[in-house]
Amino acid sequence: MAAERSSASARRARLVGRAFIYGTLVLLALLYLMPLWVMVVTSLKSLDEVYAGSFIGLPRALTLEAWEKAWATACIGTECGGLRPYFVNSILMTVPAVVISTAIGAMNGYILTKWRFRGANLIFGLMLFACFLPFQAVILPMAQVLGRLGLAGTIAGLVFVHSVYGITFTTLFFRNYFVTIPDELTKAAQIDGAGFFRIFFAIMLPAALPIVVVSSIWQFTQIWNDFLFGVSFTSGASSPVTVALNNIVNVTMGRKQYNVDMAAAMIAAVPTLVVYVVAGRYFVRGLTAGAVKG
Amino acid sequence: MRRAPSFRDRLARRLPQLVLSPSLVVVFIGVYLFIAWTGWVSVSSSRMLPRYDFVGLEQYGRLWATPRWQTAVTNLFIFTALFLAVTIALGLLIAILLDQRIRAEGFLRTIYLYPMALSFIVTGTAWKWVMNPTLGVQKVMNDLGWDSFVFDWITRPEFAIYCIVIAAVWQSTGFAMAIFLAGLRGIDNSIIKAAQIEGAGLPRIYWSIIVPMLRPALLSVVVLLSYISIKSFDLVLALTNAGPGSATEMPSTFMFSATFRRNQMGVGAASAIMMLMAVAAIFVPYLYSELREDRHGR
Amino acid sequence: MTPFARLLLATAIALPDVAPALAEGSLEGIHHWVSESEVNALKVITDKLASKGFTWVDSAVGGLSGANATQALRTRIAAGNPPATMQFLGYEGIDWAAEGVLVSLNDLYAANGWEAALPPQILQFVKADDTFFATPVNMHRQNWVWANKAIFDQHDITPPTTWEEMIAAGDKLRAAGVTPLSLSDETWQILEVFESILAGQGGAEFYRTAVMGLDPDALASETMVKAFDTLRAVSGMVDEGIAGRDWAVATGRVAAGEAAMQIMGDWAKGEFLAKGMQPGVEFLCFPTPGEAHFSFVIDAFGMFRNSDPNVTAAQIAWAESIMDPEVQRQFNLIKGSIPARIDVPVDDFDACAKQGFADREAAIASGAMLPGLTDGFAVPPQFAGVFFDVVGAFFVTAGMTSQDAVSSLVAGIENAR
Repeated sequence: MAAERSSASARRARLVGRAFIYGTLVLLALLYLMPLWVMVVTSLKSLDEVYAGSFIGLPRALTLEAWEKAWATACIGTECGGLRPYFVNSILMTVPAVVISTAIGAMNGYILTKWRFRGANLIFGLMLFACFLPFQAVILPMAQVLGRLGLAGTIAGLVFVHSVYGITFTTLFFRNYFVTIPDELTKAAQIDGAGFFRIFFAIMLPAALPIVVVSSIWQFTQIWNDFLFGVSFTSGASSPVTVALNNIVNVTMGRKQYNVDMAAAMIAAVPTLVVYVVAGRYFVRGLTAGAVKG
Repeated sequence: MRRAPSFRDRLARRLPQLVLSPSLVVVFIGVYLFIAWTGWVSVSSSRMLPRYDFVGLEQYGRLWATPRWQTAVTNLFIFTALFLAVTIALGLLIAILLDQRIRAEGFLRTIYLYPMALSFIVTGTAWKWVMNPTLGVQKVMNDLGWDSFVFDWITRPEFAIYCIVIAAVWQSTGFAMAIFLAGLRGIDNSIIKAAQIEGAGLPRIYWSIIVPMLRPALLSVVVLLSYISIKSFDLVLALTNAGPGSATEMPSTFMFSATFRRNQMGVGAASAIMMLMAVAAIFVPYLYSELREDRHGR
Repeated sequence: MTPFARLLLATAIALPDVAPALAEGSLEGIHHWVSESEVNALKVITDKLASKGFTWVDSAVGGLSGANATQALRTRIAAGNPPATMQFLGYEGIDWAAEGVLVSLNDLYAANGWEAALPPQILQFVKADDTFFATPVNMHRQNWVWANKAIFDQHDITPPTTWEEMIAAGDKLRAAGVTPLSLSDETWQILEVFESILAGQGGAEFYRTAVMGLDPDALASETMVKAFDTLRAVSGMVDEGIAGRDWAVATGRVAAGEAAMQIMGDWAKGEFLAKGMQPGVEFLCFPTPGEAHFSFVIDAFGMFRNSDPNVTAAQIAWAESIMDPEVQRQFNLIKGSIPARIDVPVDDFDACAKQGFADREAAIASGAMLPGLTDGFAVPPQFAGVFFDVVGAFFVTAGMTSQDAVSSLVAGIENAR
C-alpha cells in the first residue's frame, strides 16, 4: 500500500514536472514566434489595411500580392525586378566565401594545433582579437585595397572581404576543435610516413565534419545577413539581397509598403532559415562533438 | 642528388608555416594594418576624407566632450552586461528543459533558433510595433481588459536601451541554447542517475553538478555573445535609430554616424580606437591566462 | 559531380561576368530615392536621358535619410571608382566640390542661361568659387502644416498665425478629446518642428545669425530659450504612440481624422492626394505660424570626373535632362515638390503647390528664403548633428530645461568646430 502510494505521488510529481517543462517551453516558443507572427500577418494584408492602423491583428482579407511583389516586381531604384536578381548575387557571394573561409580556417586550425611552432599561440591570440574589430572602421582602407586589386564594385570583391574577416572566426572554431583530437593520432601517422597534407585530408578532415557544419552555419548566417560590406563594396546590379532589401524597406521621404517589406524580409531569410531547419540537428551535434570543449 | 632532398626536407619542415602565411598576411593587412591606419586618422584633422596631418589628441578630446559618446559607452556596458546575463540564463534554461527527452524537440529547437536567421533590417520594424504602446503588447493587454498594464519603454529615454536588450536576447538565445545543449549532450547521463539515487532533486543536481560542468560551453557562449554585443549595429538602427533622442546610441552607431554622416572622420577613428582599447583591456589578460594554462598542458 | 561542386563551379565561372560592365553610352548614378513615387519621378528624368540615347544604370542606396548613400559614395571614391553622377543633399555637394572631384558645369550653365532660371538662394548649393558643380531638379518646402479640415471646422479652428495661437488651438482640441498634433519621436521630425519655431518666432535674420552663422551669442540668446520653451509646449500636443512612428503613418492619422495637424515637408501632400482628398476641401495646407518664411530643401545631381569621353557625353545629357523645364514640371507633379526652376508653368499643379510658388516668390523678395536645417542645408553636417542631438534629447527628456538645452547647444557647437 505504502509503496503504491509513494509511486502514485512520484508519478504525480513527475507529471507536474513534465507539465512545467512543456508549459515553459511552449510559452517561450510563443514569445519567440511573436515577431514572426507580426511579419507574417502584415505580409498577408493589403497596404490600406496596414495604414488603417492594423499592425498585429489578423488580416481581414488574405492576399499574397505582397509576396509576389517582393519577389518579382518591387522596385529597387528604377529597376523593378523584385528581389530575385539580388538573390542570385547573394548566393554567388555567400557560397564561395563560406567555402573559402571554412577551408582556410580548417587548415589554420590544423596547423596551430598539430604543427605547433614558436609564436603559434601568439598568432592564435592575434586572430582571436581580430574577431572584435569594428567593421565600420575598416571600410575606407578596405575600399582602397579593393580598388587596387581591381575588385571594387564586384561580387568577387565581396567574397574576398568576407573570406578575410571570416578566417579569424573559422580559425577559432577549428583550432578549438582540433585541440581535442589527441596528438598521438597525428604523431603515429607521421611515423608511418604520412605528410602534412595527407594527415590533414586523411585524418583531420574526416574527423572534423561536425565542426565544418558549425563553422559553415555561422559563416553562412553572418555573410548572408551582412549589409555593411554589401552596401559599401557593391552597387546597383551587383548588390547582395540585403542591400536590395534595405532599398525596399528603408524609405525616408516616401510611403513605406509595410506588407511588401515584411514579405521581402522573409524571402531574404529563406536560405538561412532552410540552413537552420535542415542543418539545425547537425549544428547541435557538431557543437556536441567538441566545439564547446575548447 | 644530395641537395634536392635537403631542400625538400627544409620545405617540409617549413610547410605548415608556409601554408599558414597567406592567412597571416591578409589578417595582418585587413586587421592590424587597418587598425594602425585608423589610429593615424584618429590623430589627424580628417573630416570627409582621410587627411594625413597631425593634430595630437584633439579628436579624442572632442570625442569625450561629446555627450552622445558618453551615452554610447554607458549603453555598451548596460547592454553587454544584461544581454550576456539574460541570454545565458535563458539559453541555459531552454537547453536544460529541451534535454529532458522532449517530444518535438527538433521543432521547438528550430523556433528558438530561427531569429538568428533573420536580418534585423526588417525584424526591427516588427519589434518596433510590438513594443509601441499604442500598437503592440500594451494595446493587446489593455484591450483584453488589463487596463493598468503599461509597457512603454521604447518611448522613454531611460528605458529604451532595455528594448534593445530584449530584441537582442530574442535573436541570440537560440545560439546560446544550441551550445549549451551540445554541452549537456556531452555529459554522461550516469552522473545524473547516480545523484538521483543519492536522493537529490533534479533542480539541485543541475545547479550544483551539471551547470559547473558546462564551463567550456559557457566560455564559448561568452566570447560569441560579446562579439555580437560589440558589433550590434543593424539592431539599434532598425529598432530605435539610436533614439529616442540619442538614448540608445552605441559605439558602433556613433562611429558610423561620425564618419559617414557628420564628416567627423577623425572623431569616428578615435572612437574605433577607444573601442579596440576596451576590448584589449578585457581580452589581453584573459588570453594571457588561457595561453599560459595551455603551455602547462591542457 | 555533386550538386554542391557544380554550384561551386558555376559560381567560379560566373564571377568574372559580375563586374559592372558599363555599356557605351550609359550613365551610372547613386541616389536615395527608393519609394514608389520617388522612383516614378526619377523615371521622368531617366526617360529624357534615354531619349538622348543614354542608358541609366541605377545604383539606388536607400535609408538613414541618405546616409547609406553618402557612405557608399565615400567608399566608391576611396576605391577610385566614383559613379558618373550622385544625388546631393545639403553640404554634400559643396564638400565634394572642395575636394576637386566634380566636373565643372560652367559651359552648360552659360550656354543655357540656367543661372537666371534658379532662385538666387539655392546657388550656394550648386556653385562654389565661381564653378557650377550640380544641377537642381526640385525644391521641397519644409515648413508646412497639414490639417484635417473636418476637425478644424467641427472645433471652429482657423489656421494659427503665431505659435501662441498654435498652442492655444492645441489646448482647445485636447480639451475636446482630439490629438492636436501628429508627430513621431524620430529626431528629424522633431527638428523640422523646431526649425519652424526658430524661424517663425525669431525671424529670418535670427535664423541666419544663430543657425547658419552659429553665432555663440545668438545661440545662447533669450530667443533660443523661448524657442525651446515653445517646443516643450508643442510636445504636449502629441499622443503617446509616437515611438518610431513613420512620418507617413503620422500623416495617415491626420487624413483619417485621428489627429488634427502635422508639421511636415510637402512630401506629406501625396498621402492625402493618394486617398483622393482635395486641398482646401478635405485637408488644409498652410505655412507654419510666425513670421513668414520659406524653408527649402533641394535635390541636385553632381557629376564626378571621369576620363571616359562616353561618360562625359552622358553626364552632359543628364544635366540637360534635369534642367529641362518640362522634365522638372512632370517630375515635381509626381514628387510633390515644386520645380527648382522659377520659370516653369504652374497651371496644372495643385492648390498647395501653387501657394508654394507664390510664397517662394514672396520669400525671395523679402529675404526669407531659408535653407532647411533638418536635411543639412543650413550648416555643415558636424553642426547639424549637434542640433539633432540637443533637440532630440530635449524633446524626449521631460526634466531637461530650455536653459539646459541652450547650454548644451552652445557647448556642442563649440566642440564640433
